[in-house]
Amino acid sequence: MNATKTIEPQKHHCENHEKCMEMIQAVLDGSATEDEMKAFKANMSECLPCIEGHDLQKSIKEALQQKLEKKCCPESTVNKIREKLGIASILLIFAALQVTIFKVILES
Amino acid sequence: MEAITMTEERTEENNVAEETEVKALRYSESERYAVFNTEFIPHIDSMYNFAFRLTNDEDDANDLVQDTYMKAFRFINSFQQGTNAKAWLFRILKNSFINDYRKKSKQPAKVDYQEVETTYNSESTDSETTTDLRTETVQDMIGDEVATALNSLPVDFRTVIILCDIEGFTYEEMAKILDIPIGTVRSRLHRARNLLKEKLRSYANTMGYKKAS
Repeated sequence: MNATKTIEPQKHHCENHEKCMEMIQAVLDGSATEDEMKAFKANMSECLPCIEGHDLQKSIKEALQQKLEKKCCPESTVNKIREKLGIASILLIFAALQVTIFKVILES
Repeated sequence: MEAITMTEERTEENNVAEETEVKALRYSESERYAVFNTEFIPHIDSMYNFAFRLTNDEDDANDLVQDTYMKAFRFINSFQQGTNAKAWLFRILKNSFINDYRKKSKQPAKVDYQEVETTYNSESTDSETTTDLRTETVQDMIGDEVATALNSLPVDFRTVIILCDIEGFTYEEMAKILDIPIGTVRSRLHRARNLLKEKLRSYANTMGYKKAS
């Protein structure tokens, strides 16, 4: 790894590819540390396995984001939640009333 | 071997009360509904998608989303308005899935990470795997093919990929949702992606996609 920019990658074998891929994934995920960002920038111009690994990982990430069907929650489910909450709040009010009545009875 | 926290059973109170370190709030009845409608309901499609990807069943996904929202309302006083509602809800859903739904399913209760790691390491190296699966092949795949590969992963690995790649959570958010350290998020994600690549490569070969020249 050095700062010299070359057009063609110099390394055709990465001796630490698993670690490099973890770093590359962190960069793609936007969760890399500053040190990882520096190492990434230095390494990515010269290491062919890392360049290929980066491109493949990026394409998989994009496929997951763009190609998987995004389902909408059925309206009936939203309505059921609201119905249940309505019933829950009625039960809550009923319980509060019972407590109040109980207190009044005790005090009288 | 990493801790298997996804499989831990937790009480509802633990699941939700530990979400925030702030003191329990006291919303009025109208405030509770306002918070629910403005902070929770906007995430319902993401929640449904997450539930569907976990259960692979629309009815189970509906039930899981309903249960999650009922729990969220019940414990709404432990949610601070303006904080990360989506991550909070995802954590409740994930714990509900572990405690209630995974029991019902026939899926294995947990992933033996050591076994996965051993299997993975005993096969070809990662660089060989990645050269075999081409970027162009992935780009040519249709959604159903990607979904099949994703669904074939053990649920704990599937979960980290969904949270990171589909829902766009940061590692820090994922650590909170899954209740694991960030280092474990990173390593689990890395292993999950290696497995997904392997599934995609096998699938590509089966379906006759072009191999690397």
